[in-house]
Amino acid sequence: MDMKVIHGDDEMTHVVLDGRFDIQGAQEVDSRFEELAKSSKALVVDLSKVSFLASLGIRTLMLSAKTLLRRGAEMAVCGASESVEKVLRTTGFNEVAGLYPDYDTAARALQERLAAFSGKKA
Amino acid sequence: MSELRPPFCSRDFPATVEAASEAENWVARQASDMGLGEEAEFAIGLCLEEVFLNAVTHGHANRATISVCAEPHGVIVEFADDGAPFDPTIAPAKRINGPTQDFDIGGYGTGLMQKFSRRMSYRRFEGMNRLVLEFDAGRNANAGPDTLSAP
Repeated sequence: MDMKVIHGDDEMTHVVLDGRFDIQGAQEVDSRFEELAKSSKALVVDLSKVSFLASLGIRTLMLSAKTLLRRGAEMAVCGASESVEKVLRTTGFNEVAGLYPDYDTAARALQERLAAFSGKKA
Repeated sequence: MSELRPPFCSRDFPATVEAASEAENWVARQASDMGLGEEAEFAIGLCLEEVFLNAVTHGHANRATISVCAEPHGVIVEFADDGAPFDPTIAPAKRINGPTQDFDIGGYGTGLMQKFSRRMSYRRFEGMNRLVLEFDAGRNANAGPDTLSAP
């Protein structure tokens, strides 16, 4: 699975995944996700090009979300297909990371949350 | 011995994570060849990855056999493994309920299989777990279930 990381100048890290988030796909991106979860302030994972998500891919996302939230950072997912979103909602992942239709909406939501957290106006 | 009726195909795999990935690709090919549609292919792949990894990591199985049987309006997949007895049809479906930082990383497979399959049935027979998963053809199914790839 391809993984592109874009670091914005607004504290936003944009990860674009492309391919199947299956066993092999998860193994290919696991270590990079781990690094990003330890260093990012706000992480948006774009799943619009992900055609499949299962056990190990969910684990990668859950682990990243947990690491980020414990550091006081934020995570969101955008662009999920109907089936991928069904997986995320069935596990309850949407309770710990917001699901948004596109990157701009997700980034705006995370910026507002970060601003609220630091006592500033969005 | 599988109880599935023809047309069906069956393949044995060692119970390893590497073989789980291979099995995932094999079943995806079968589902694609059967023209079940993307929705059904997704559901079958998802359930297979869950049950295979359960057998490897929790059941400590040595081998697994996957059988795929075409139906007029869907497909039946039987997953048999020689691991520790485990009946996912009665296991609780776990879900994160409400915003929290204190959630489990794994254990969501049972709920996913229950959600994505039409029906699941389980029995322990001759030292093997035998899980039968039934799936409907997807909304965009485009072919009859009469074409199966060679193993």
